Amino acid sequence: MTNNISMPAPQALQAAKLCKNYGKQTVLKDLDLTFEPGLIYGLIGRNGAGKTTLLGILSGQNFATGGQALYGGQPVWENSAVLSNLHFARELSASSELATLSVKRFLQAGKMFCPCWNQSFAEELVQKFELPMKKMINRLSRGQMSMVSITAALASRAPVTLLDEPTAGLDVVARERFYRILLEEYQRTGRTFVISTHIIEEAASVFEKVVILDEGKVVADQDTEDLVGQFRYISGPAALLDSALADRGVTPLQTQVLGGHKMVAVRGSEELFDELAAEDGLTVEGMNLQNVFVALCGHGDEEG
Amino acid sequence: MKGTLNDQSLIYRQIAQLLEDGILRGEYPADTQVPSTNELARAFNINPATAAKGINRLVDEGLLYKRRGIGMFVAPGAAEELRKRRREDFARTQVKAFVREAKRLGLTQQELYSLVQAQAQEEELP
Repeated sequence: MTNNISMPAPQALQAAKLCKNYGKQTVLKDLDLTFEPGLIYGLIGRNGAGKTTLLGILSGQNFATGGQALYGGQPVWENSAVLSNLHFARELSASSELATLSVKRFLQAGKMFCPCWNQSFAEELVQKFELPMKKMINRLSRGQMSMVSITAALASRAPVTLLDEPTAGLDVVARERFYRILLEEYQRTGRTFVISTHIIEEAASVFEKVVILDEGKVVADQDTEDLVGQFRYISGPAALLDSALADRGVTPLQTQVLGGHKMVAVRGSEELFDELAAEDGLTVEGMNLQNVFVALCGHGDEEG
Repeated sequence: MKGTLNDQSLIYRQIAQLLEDGILRGEYPADTQVPSTNELARAFNINPATAAKGINRLVDEGLLYKRRGIGMFVAPGAAEELRKRRREDFARTQVKAFVREAKRLGLTQQELYSLVQAQAQEEELP
């Protein structure tokens, strides 16, 4: 029964002063972060920002160079009592360690390692995704690999489930279906989900909170809509715009100039945006999560 | 309930707006139940906490009230209150934007009035 829920309540998953180096390369720097129990988190960042490394360490599959990962206050590393509460769904590829297993064997392995595994939910997902049970993982299409990984993650019923790029190989219809199934499961169980993705905008409405990683540091960690609400695009004649911003001591995050017209991304308060909107000649427009992400992590790339 | 969400304004505001529109159109008369958080989350594929935020905004504004264990209901007078608010907002923001665009296009006051008058007649405003 999909609805038969026997799962320990999720607890907080925490990174405490986490550091990770690969040789001389620093991937995570003194990272402090808490994933509160029972929420859906989005984890976003550019390639190489440290998302996969962070998820690996949080789930005890990778070790930290400094600091530690804690679950309910207990260290995660080599702590089997804690690890049984965590599931990390990595991106599968033809060269993954387990890629020579059949889909069936892969899911059986999931069942063995996950104490809360729900077999009927697994079978329901296998049917929904039309997964070929006898095929080896390395013979699957990229979309099917994503679906196998998603199936194992959801059926694990792990109180805290981390998914690394679950939608990367999926087409738009399958992505929508994934988020629908995820939300149903979330409403049923109240599990914690942490989901990393590059396809930001269509996932934004699923994330109650969002964590943005940039060069191994947390640059945002808050309610998704509160974060997005702090940003606007302001546009108008360059001279007018510059003086309106300078008068108020506002530093733009991102600038686009087209002739005498200028558009900037600004972080600020409702009052500031109302004041700017009242200036004759200036236009104030809302941003979406993807725009906010680019404004925070673009590092001036947009200047053309 | 109809309509879809866009990604250019905050989702909880869009949820609040959709419910407001429903109340204004008379789909949800006073003391009728509005869709629940879970129904909204399912219908729009959004996080239930976000749907709840949209509903709570209307509760805070006195447009909806809660019946414990049953759900959210439309407060008496909500439609009138909304109409009043939307009229104020119409004067403050939409008319302003509309006149500014007319200014950019170089229309005179008289030209603008006659355009409005023609449209008002076509829509049969009393």
